Amino acid sequence: MGIGEIILISLVKILLIISLLFLTVSYLTYFERKISAWVQNRIGPNRVGWKGLLQPFADVFKLMLKEDIVPEKADRIIHLLAPMIALFVAFSTFAVIPFGPEVHLFGYDIPLVVADVNMGVLFVLALTSLSVYGLTLAGWSSGSKYSLLGGIRSSAQMISYEISMGFSIGGVLLLSESLRPIAIVESQSGWMWNAIVQPIGFITFLVSAFAETNRLPFDLPEAEPELVGGFHTEYSSMKFAAFFLSEYANMIIASGLIVTLYLGGWQIPYIDLLGLPSGLVALLQVGAFIFKLVAILFFFLWVRWSLPRFRYDQLMNLGWKVMFPLSLINIIWVALLIMIFGL
Amino acid sequence: MPKFLIDEKEIEFQTGQTIIEAARDHGIDIPHFCWHPKLSVSGNCRICLVEVEKMPKLMIACSTIASEGMVVHTQSEKTLEARNAVMEFILINHPLDCPICDEAGECKLQDYAYSHGEGESRFTEEKNQKEKHVQFGPQVMFDGERCISCSRCIRFCDEIAKDPELTFVQRGDSVTITTFPGEELDNPYSMNVIDICPVGALTSIDFRFKARVWDMSATKSICTGCSRGCNIDIWVRNNEILRLTPRHNEEVNSYWMCDYGRLNTFKNVNAETRVDCPQLRREGKLVKVGWDEIYAETASRIKSFAKDEVAFLGSAHATCEDNYLLVKFARTVIGSGILDFMNHIDPEFGDDLLKQNDVAPNSMGAKLAGISPLKSGLNFEGIIKAIREGKIKALYILEDDVVSANPHLENIFAKLDLLIVHSSNYNNTTALADIIFPAAAIAEKNGTLINFEGVIQRIKPAVVTIDTDRALDGMEMSRLDKFGTNFDRWATGVKRDARASWKILTGLAGALGHKMKFNMAEEVFSEMSNQIEAFKGLDYDDIGETGVKLNVKFLEQKVNA
Amino acid sequence: MEQKSVKRRKKDLSFLERIYIPEILKGLSLTFKNMIRPKFTIEYPEERFIPSAAYRGRPVLIEENNGDERCVACGLCSRVCPALAIEVQAAETEREQERYPEKFEINMLRCIFCGFCEEVCPEEAIVMSKDYDLTFSNREEAIYGKDKLLVPVNQLQDRIDFLRKYK
Repeated sequence: MGIGEIILISLVKILLIISLLFLTVSYLTYFERKISAWVQNRIGPNRVGWKGLLQPFADVFKLMLKEDIVPEKADRIIHLLAPMIALFVAFSTFAVIPFGPEVHLFGYDIPLVVADVNMGVLFVLALTSLSVYGLTLAGWSSGSKYSLLGGIRSSAQMISYEISMGFSIGGVLLLSESLRPIAIVESQSGWMWNAIVQPIGFITFLVSAFAETNRLPFDLPEAEPELVGGFHTEYSSMKFAAFFLSEYANMIIASGLIVTLYLGGWQIPYIDLLGLPSGLVALLQVGAFIFKLVAILFFFLWVRWSLPRFRYDQLMNLGWKVMFPLSLINIIWVALLIMIFGL
Repeated sequence: MPKFLIDEKEIEFQTGQTIIEAARDHGIDIPHFCWHPKLSVSGNCRICLVEVEKMPKLMIACSTIASEGMVVHTQSEKTLEARNAVMEFILINHPLDCPICDEAGECKLQDYAYSHGEGESRFTEEKNQKEKHVQFGPQVMFDGERCISCSRCIRFCDEIAKDPELTFVQRGDSVTITTFPGEELDNPYSMNVIDICPVGALTSIDFRFKARVWDMSATKSICTGCSRGCNIDIWVRNNEILRLTPRHNEEVNSYWMCDYGRLNTFKNVNAETRVDCPQLRREGKLVKVGWDEIYAETASRIKSFAKDEVAFLGSAHATCEDNYLLVKFARTVIGSGILDFMNHIDPEFGDDLLKQNDVAPNSMGAKLAGISPLKSGLNFEGIIKAIREGKIKALYILEDDVVSANPHLENIFAKLDLLIVHSSNYNNTTALADIIFPAAAIAEKNGTLINFEGVIQRIKPAVVTIDTDRALDGMEMSRLDKFGTNFDRWATGVKRDARASWKILTGLAGALGHKMKFNMAEEVFSEMSNQIEAFKGLDYDDIGETGVKLNVKFLEQKVNA
Repeated sequence: MEQKSVKRRKKDLSFLERIYIPEILKGLSLTFKNMIRPKFTIEYPEERFIPSAAYRGRPVLIEENNGDERCVACGLCSRVCPALAIEVQAAETEREQERYPEKFEINMLRCIFCGFCEEVCPEEAIVMSKDYDLTFSNREEAIYGKDKLLVPVNQLQDRIDFLRKYK
């Protein structure tokens, strides 16, 4: 395989992923509204298109037609930069998430991941740390007290939960002995899903993922009743849309990570025993990945419309006094498992 | 003075007084339908039954003469029972048509049904059918079913109007009231029977169904029909006068007023003929202008005449305040002493009861406010003569339709170079005027009028102009006035662009460089009471609602002089 | 020695409650149950809500079968109206009732649909209809005159029956 072909294949994959991501994000907003409606015994958007399916596009058009307002006291460059950072970080994280096994297509072996980086997990952690800049800078550059409070909250929250997140991943890495996402997925063959092997780590990671994506019950950076709109109070039009997109993209990535790290990635347990043709298996596995992803996404939305927002001190207590020790306990637990069972 | 006990309270009475009169003097109200303080006692309604100790039966308070040591109970169980029974009897044949009836809201029967009635009827039979919708006279409509046969209207015609026109016919439950054959209820005071009727049997044809009582505001004011100055209430809804009713003032009109005053003194306020903004004659045509413009223009025109070329006519139709300021304006601003007013005498109009031959409400007031020629000056006839001779070239008329009263003046006034008129309505005088100031009508301003006996009485504004505000100026407000907004059709009645004459004169004096600092009619009056002996020491509070009689001797001297 | 008594307050959580997870699951199951329950929403312009006779929609005047209004313009509705929405001007008529409303206007911007007018009406002439979707684009349009208020009596029969039964 020449360098040219590798670039071509990567470009195709990138385009595919990005367009899929955009589509998913738009429909995520649609389902967010639908699920909120269902939870509240309503019908939800049903005016634009059949069953309201064109609603996301209507929203995008509306946002595009809106006036872009920049506050007088804002730092104009950073104000412009912040949503870009947020969006860029969110999208690039997806590069290392594998959504299927290697497939043979047109005579090539193509791994179904944009970049098969051997320290992919580290890459993810690095980029998520970066994403805090988007929010913090947005809050700081707006020149509004609400935005600033939102920005500060988001940085404190993200940094706090990154720690337990990192330690939770520690347990996964101990078992997989690799930072490569594909290797991590493969290490969970059969029912050896990390969610089953190390449930504490799964829970801490899940909770941290909620916090990292600023989803309810941890959406303090944008807590509407207190902060108007939080860090994006002063944003309108497409810049606002960029934050919106990045938030939902982050959700997809978090779900992707959860699936990859804890739910066996694209794997369907014991599918190789059925003796199906490899093409079909690969297809089923991609399907399995998407199914798991959607299930986690549904969980994200479901939780949002069920749980109330945490208070800020509760959030910090939970992060530092509960999640952090629990993730440490998880590492010990995994270490014990390795010591006793020699996994 | 002899005393007796009523409801365990000892009250004094004059010998010969009935229980109801004595109780009334001491603020104890005994229910009554047929009794009226100014009518003879009839004693047929029986609602005023009271318990008198040592008397075998309940007594009617209206015809039982009070005597020393009597013990009367108006709230005892027996009394209340009797009252309930009487109410029940009266209500047996009284139709339940309050929704249709104009009296609703000011109906004695309705009030007593609330306070003394059982609240429900045990009577299941058909009610009596009687004649409804009978026109008794030009102004009064009769509904036989509503009548409770109290005979107040009959007694009024016999005793007060001295013109027996009504009588009972039939007997028992078919008793009803009718006019004598060939007669109709058309005496000059006929509409008072509507006021004294305790139910809605007699209603005013003029006011019929126009408004509900509770939607109107009632402003205590004075009738301007003649120099009697009957006390009245002006009933206004949506800034429109709908009716006048007499107000009790024993010194002036007792409980009554004449039909002429009741019907003819308010319609000009609502009329289409109102002058609704200042007007100037330019090249033979009347042009509507603003207030600032008309003040400036009038000032410049009036300045072009010599002092003795300008004459002023005050008015017996204007208030004392207006006349006083005209005097002040003429003497100090213009420097002219040619000042008089026209008397409006109609020898046909007066009678023995209320009506006076002087059909202007304030002749006495105009005189006392100083509308009289100086020694060298000319009186009304003199002024006319001088105009004919061309000596007087400008005439200033205050709120008086001089031309209609003296049609021959039309040709004479044509000789004037300048005719300035204050008027609330277009009339024959304004037709000749060069400058017309829209004057507030009597019902639109504060002021005082003095009647032929020298009783000075307050008029109060009942109708709002652009210049006044119902709430801010402390005018009477109905429920609708209180809560209406600019977006409610029922609260946006026409407001005219008119001002009280004293205010116009103040403005005009200002345009001529003489500052007069009057913001309220009361301030004009307080200056009058300092300057003019007849008003010494008086203010609006002293005059109050029923007026003050001025020193008659002093007045006679003044008038004769 | 005094015994330290620890009072359990309502807001103190038990251990199970403190670890959140069971409580969270409880909440999630509740919302999930609601997700699959039938919806209450009526898809309004296509699907219309037909209220029961007890519903207080816009007040209307009853028009008798011969085309006359039943109202005698007594003004009680206007008097009782807490929002002063009703204006009535009476006039004389040759009909037996003597009096009829020459003008009857309800300002629907003022009306609060309290039903007092209906309750006070001695003639059963004003009743609350089932109309609830009133639209107007200016204040003038919001003032409903007799043309809009008069509704034939047979269209309002169920409300009249309801009133006779419960009023």
